[in-house]
This record gives sequence, structure tokens and C-alpha cells, in this order.
Amino acid sequence: MPSRPSDGSVVLGWVRKRGVDRLSIAGLALDGGKPPRGLAVLPADLVQHALKTPALQPLGGRFTASGDHVAFTPRLPFVAGLTYAVMLRGEGEPQVWKIERPRAAAGAPAEVVAIHPTAPEVPLNLLKIYVQFSAPMREGDAAEAVEVRRLDTGELLEDVFFQGRYELWDPERRRLTLLLDPGRIKRGLGPHEAMGYPLVEGTTVEVRVTDRFRDAEGRPLAAPASRRYRVAAPIREHVDPVRWRQLWPAAGASDPLEVRFDRPLDHAMLQHAVRVTDADGAPLPGRVEVAPEETVWRFHPENPWGAGPYSLVVEPMLEDLAGNSPIRVFDRDLERPEDAPPRPAAPIVMSRALAPAAGKVA
Amino acid sequence: MDRRELMTAGVAVAVTATVASAAKAAASYGMTKGAPDIKSVGPLAFGPAGVLFVADPVGAKVFALDVGAGRAMAAQPVSIDKLDMRLAAFLGAAPADIAVRDVAVQPGSNIVFISVMRGSGAAAVPALVKIDAKGELSQVALTNIAFAQTTVEKAPGLDDKRTAGRQPLRSVTVTDLAYTDGTVLIAGASNEEFTSAFRRVAFPFNGAAQLNSLEIFHVSHGRFETASPITSFVPYGGAGSVLAAYTCTPLVQFSLTGAAAGSQVKGKSVADLGPGSTPTDMLHFRQGGEDYFLVANSRHPLMKVARRDIDKQEALIKQADHVGAARKELPQAGVSRLANLGDGHVLMMQQDPAAGLSLRSYAVETL
Repeated sequence: MPSRPSDGSVVLGWVRKRGVDRLSIAGLALDGGKPPRGLAVLPADLVQHALKTPALQPLGGRFTASGDHVAFTPRLPFVAGLTYAVMLRGEGEPQVWKIERPRAAAGAPAEVVAIHPTAPEVPLNLLKIYVQFSAPMREGDAAEAVEVRRLDTGELLEDVFFQGRYELWDPERRRLTLLLDPGRIKRGLGPHEAMGYPLVEGTTVEVRVTDRFRDAEGRPLAAPASRRYRVAAPIREHVDPVRWRQLWPAAGASDPLEVRFDRPLDHAMLQHAVRVTDADGAPLPGRVEVAPEETVWRFHPENPWGAGPYSLVVEPMLEDLAGNSPIRVFDRDLERPEDAPPRPAAPIVMSRALAPAAGKVA
Repeated sequence: MDRRELMTAGVAVAVTATVASAAKAAASYGMTKGAPDIKSVGPLAFGPAGVLFVADPVGAKVFALDVGAGRAMAAQPVSIDKLDMRLAAFLGAAPADIAVRDVAVQPGSNIVFISVMRGSGAAAVPALVKIDAKGELSQVALTNIAFAQTTVEKAPGLDDKRTAGRQPLRSVTVTDLAYTDGTVLIAGASNEEFTSAFRRVAFPFNGAAQLNSLEIFHVSHGRFETASPITSFVPYGGAGSVLAAYTCTPLVQFSLTGAAAGSQVKGKSVADLGPGSTPTDMLHFRQGGEDYFLVANSRHPLMKVARRDIDKQEALIKQADHVGAARKELPQAGVSRLANLGDGHVLMMQQDPAAGLSLRSYAVETL
């Protein structure tokens, strides 16, 4: 706690009591043992505004006086790195004192860890792009900070991404999901008719995450990041696990199970929407690996494989890059009976008993 | 009894009723007192007896909070400029760190409630702020409040041992919320799969079994059928009718009456508001004995649509730019949130170059 200065000046300091941070104010003339009237705490940048706008309410919280000190306990915790002002409005000119809240031990500014898909070629009706950051990010920057450019003409493509009421983040705000405007992808809808697809088939585009993106501490990204894609024909058919190649190891082996898809699938959903279960249907402990380009999925078991039978279980939600899933074609043509109707939303289970490796006797 | 005495008596009755209904809220809606674990705040809606529903997009929950039914007060005109600045000063942050998520007005008391996120990432703090008739801000204490909660959705496939102890990356963001006839309606969007899941949860909350899951398909795009998350919706008419705006732009009318859990509800596309813009909020109000809707848009002007035009609109077969039910463009600019302020006013949150973020009320007859 700062000591009361003898020269009549006011000294501010931070104190922590019962796990709550307070702003301590020493050197104020108390009002009959109580905090003086007209005392307020504000973010320092808003002081000028507060002086012009009497209706501006200061920080919600409570002043207490103890001895010759006043302490302010805010309703919400103080913000690291923000400068606060203590303002005393009385008869004459308002008096203002300032103090900066210490910054949390600053890590490196956030950077882009990955942009998915990593496949070099995407369908014209690509629906989603994921941007993985190294640290939590600030919300609200996505619309301005991610660009898509056509490389042959250098043209910046407009209105590529859907801008909803809220951005789509993971709970830690490290992974952003960008939807390419579904209204422009879906045939027959107004935006599609008026503006066409967000991407242009046959071109190469660059998706660029610029350093206008801010991390949760308000700092720009360490560096911009980008990825290039060739835009190929649209894909409009169910994800069909029966078409996948399953390379099961022999019983007794510890090698991973490898599954090769007929097209790239959604990187995020591959982490949890495909799994291996034992004969009782319990998930097998192990680690999932999604190979680059999202066409190969491997499961590394914790223990060597037994005879099984094991099952490869696919959740019906699993999507390809264009939003097609085992139960739904993204925008279904009613004149194509093979796409109709949406299939039951049950997991697809493909079971397999494993033979021992050749040469071994069971 | 003279007029003054009459008024006093009226107030006394109102106060008694308020206390009774607040106690009722806690007891009969299965609420317990404590500190709800609200990780983030998003859409708001009011239920019976002044109960406030708050969506928590990060925690994938909806909380019912007993914020007190408040004293019955006639709706006062609202005109608040520089709302972001005022919230920044009051909540102690830079204005850039203030994100207003939703605005709702408590029926009866006509107190304005705002859900706000202060800061982002690990330092993000949710706050619920009340604005009374004098424009005074106060914060709803979330440490000792009667509340109940329901989980919006458990992600399929995540029960898996492999993900135990790890924070799942998948989340369901609640995009809009409403209460009607004993039911909380919840629209959500996943940050992974693209589905039109729409949930109905009976209130009082009664465990996960009360959760209905509806897939909504709108089939009327000529040859094509699509599923898409709902960005905003508004129930109306009290008979299970809902007008919804989709991630892919069209306005769709559908009826939940008789829809079994898990069934697909086929909606009727009634308008396509055109490209390059997203509906950000919707509202139902009555004017001259008729039902109307307001639709706020990210880039298009605020639009007004009459229910009679929606009812008589044939399902759109061929979508084209600016087709469907007649709509009127209103002059209020930069509107991002809408709320009913009593029956006679509409509250709008507007972004204005001069006033900044503002809250203004408009009498319904002027709309």
C-alpha cells in the first residue's frame, strides 16, 4: 500500500486483498472519515470525454476509507495494460491522477499456426476455411482482416465470406471458422443468381490473413499468413465411407490404421467424427493423425491390435470441403434421385476382424 | 378517492404483485440461488415473471436468471448516445474492448438490459447491464442470483476418451433466442458442421430430455433444397409460427405446431432480401391492429414487412434479387439490434457517425 505523502500530493497504487485487486488512493482529504464526494475512477482515455459529458458514469464499484487511505474495488476486474484515472470533481477544476495497470507477462504476439484446408485444390463450392492461431484472438476483426485475391488478375474478391451476427470461434478463441457465403454457393438463391460463386473455377486464389487481425491483448499478428488454392469443379455428392480404402494392420501389430478418402474432408471434424471402437463398441484409446491435404486419416492405437472385431465409426455430421456429408448433399438437386432424400442421421459403422500377420501362428 | 390516492393505491398493488411474482419465479421455475457459471453472454430474451434468458455461446448453455420482475412502469422514450463509450467507462475498458451482444427490454418494467463482452480471449468478461428510465446504468450481479440452466447441445462423438480432459474445439454459437408459450426457442450455428438445428426447450428447464432438435429445410428454391443455420428469428401469433432469416439470406416462414422432435419442418421462403447483406435482428410488432415485422440488415436498410403479405405470399419458386413479400425501407440507419419497448415503441441500437453507438426508441405509429 502506498504511504501517505507528506507534501499533500496524491499517490495511487495497486493492492490485493482476499484475492481481489483494488486501487489504493493515498493523500486525499477525507470527508469526515469517508471517501470524498465527487471521486470517480475511469479509463484514462475517457477522462476528457467524461469532463464534457456529465452523464458518463464512471467505473462501477465501491470506495472504502480505512485510516487515511481510500480504496476502490471495481465490479469487474481491472484490465491489464490499461491506464486508469482517479478523478476528483469538487468546487474548482477537476483533479486527475493516473496509474497504469501492469501488463500480464507478455508472450509473443499471436501468429497463424495453420490455415485449413491444406489441400492444394478446392472445389468451386468450398464452404469453410479454418484459421488456427497460436494465442487467443480478439473478436470482430475477421471481416476486415481476411482477404481473398485472384492471382491471375490480382483482383481482390469481394463478399467472399458470410458475415453473421457473431463470428464462429472455438471456446478459447484460437480457431476461427470462416464460411464462404452460402447464399452465393447455393444454386437458385438470390445472392447466387446476382453475384455467382464466391470463387472462380479454374483460377488460383490466395487467402491471406493480414496483420489487421488483433490478438486478445490488442496486438497485431506477428506476421501475415497466406495459402493458395486452385479452384476446381464443384462437388455435390454424399460423403460415402464405403468408398474409402481401409488399411488395417495385422493382429498383434502396433501400426496405425490408415484410411484413405476419395476426396479431402473437413480437417476439424476429422479430429472427432471418425473413431475406432472395440468389440463392445467402446472407443479405442489412441491418437488421431490427419495427414496433410486431408485425404488420409490414421489412428495410432495405444496398445497393439487384437483380433477384434473392431469398427470404424463415422459420425453422420462429417463433411467434405463443400459441406456434403454422409446424410446430405449440400445443395440438393431435386431432379437427381440419387441425392434424395436426406439419409437417417445415424453413425456409419464398418466392422473388421483382424487376421494375425502372415507367418505367425495363432 | 382522489386521483392522487388512486395512483398511490395502484403503485402499492403493483409492488405487491412484483414481489410475489419474483418469489414465484425462483420457486416455481426450478431456480436455485448462487453464482451461475456464465462464460460469455450473447442473445437475450424475456420469459414469464420477468425471467431473463441469456445465451452463453462459449459455454453452449442458456441461463434463466431471476433479475426481478421490476416495478411496472410505462415505457419512457429512450435516447442514449455513445453507448459504447458509456459502457467502456462504466465497465472499465477501452471502447474497442466493448462488444454489445444483444439488447432486450423487460416487459412491464420497461428496463433495458444489454449483454456485453468486455475484452476478448482469456481476459474476456461477460456483463449484463441494466439501463433504467433515467438512463442510469447498473450491473446485474451474477454472484448471488436465482438461476436455472440448460445445455444447448452436447457435441456428438466427443464422449470419447481421446478428447477427455482436452477442451473441445467444436462449439455451438447461439445465434438467436426467444421465449413463447412455455418454450425457449434456440437457433445455433456450429463452428464445424453446417446444419439448420433449431431447438425447443420447455421452461422450467427439466433436463436434457426436454431438448427438441429440429432440422429445417427450405425447399422452395425451384430445383434445389438446402439446409442452413438460422441467424435470427422471431416467433409471432402465438401458434408456433416463426419468421426466420437464414445464413443464406432468404426469409422463411414456418410453423412448429405439431412438429415432432427430430422431424424436419419444411418452411416457406417468403422473401429474398438480396445479396451482400445479412439480417442481424428481427422483431414483431403491432400497428393499427395488424402484425408487422422489422428486419435489420448488415448492409441493406431497415425493412418493414406486413404479416398479411407474408401470409399471402406464395412459396418462392425461383429466387431472384429482391423478390417476395412486399417490404418498406425505413429511414433509421445503422440498425443492428431491435427490441420491443412495451407495445407502443421499438428500441433500436444504431451506429451513427455523429452519435456513435446509440439506443433510440421510436413510437410504432411512426414506423
